[in-house]
Amino acid sequence: MKRLLPFIIILIVLGAAVGSAMYFTRTTPGSSATRNNAPATSATASNAQPAPVTGVAGADPPHTLGSPNAPARLEEFGDFQCPPCGLFHPILQQMHNEFGDKLQITFREFPLYPNHQHSVVAASAAEAAGLQGKFWEMHDLLYEHQNDWKDKFDVRPIFEGYAKQIGLDVDRWKQDSVSEQVARRITSDGNRGHSMGVKGTPTVFLNGREVAFENLPAEKLRPILQAVINSGGR
Amino acid sequence: MRLYVTAAVVSLLGLADALYLTVEHVTGQSVRCTIVAGCSEVLSSQYAVVAGVPLALIGAAAYFGVFSLATLAAFGYRFAGTLLALLAVLMFIVSLWLIYLQAFVIHAFCQFCLLSAAVTTALTVIVLIAVIFRRKTA
Repeated sequence: MKRLLPFIIILIVLGAAVGSAMYFTRTTPGSSATRNNAPATSATASNAQPAPVTGVAGADPPHTLGSPNAPARLEEFGDFQCPPCGLFHPILQQMHNEFGDKLQITFREFPLYPNHQHSVVAASAAEAAGLQGKFWEMHDLLYEHQNDWKDKFDVRPIFEGYAKQIGLDVDRWKQDSVSEQVARRITSDGNRGHSMGVKGTPTVFLNGREVAFENLPAEKLRPILQAVINSGGR
Repeated sequence: MRLYVTAAVVSLLGLADALYLTVEHVTGQSVRCTIVAGCSEVLSSQYAVVAGVPLALIGAAAYFGVFSLATLAAFGYRFAGTLLALLAVLMFIVSLWLIYLQAFVIHAFCQFCLLSAAVTTALTVIVLIAVIFRRKTA
């Protein structure tokens, strides 16, 4: 018996470790928190998939890439100062290149102020660029150079540099960044996210259904997009 | 030997920490940013995954290895003490590398990753003392 004791102890610890890990992996809410916010839809509730979340309207018109008739419509709620959003940016670009017109991408502002102190200024910079038709150019620069500005005290000169770089009318852009119109766009997107149960960023919806965070790496997102495209957008 | 019992107990702390990080990683709880809490730049970085396996899970396996070997050593298995010393030193070197990555490459720290590094350092010290002590008494 004495000889077996260490092995018994080791097996008990192994069982406890694997058991607790599996328990917590399954019960942690993950993406399920957002699923019940959809208005109770009639009929086809038997499907295992959660019902698409509709939510209130966001800023109009939204910032989109790709065709509006695409079978796969992806909507990202993002914050330019959020590192995982910055990491998701090249993945989304890659998906856009791979799927082309089959995939429509919409970006929604969800600045996590005050956790991210520059998030609202960054969102305003992008929205103000959008008023001159260059939202995506600013969006890309903000994400790609996130590490250059996120820890700075004053980010405005840096963003002004981006505005010049993409050829904006800088004076107009400066005025627009603090305008009521831009603030309203950000609030509208935020309200939409809130109504869809968005709690953090990046939160991604595909045809109205939330894509779990762990499925956002390219190798996991690609087959999910492909399946939706193959099924004609269900 | 008491030192090995201590090492086994300390390794349980490391195991719990690594399992916690694994669950966080898999469920995306702390990885995503929220309004109230900081997101983990460390856990969402490319270094958090090695060949598709979360680094935290590899860490959990390593701590389980330490626990197993320390338990066997405490029950008088000599080979376990030697293997344990090798594993602890290897884990210590990996911890140093991970702290370097956090400090100079990712430019962000994750507190539970630092706790893991502290646990590994403690384990290495305990195990090396045990080895030296064994040499002297042998």
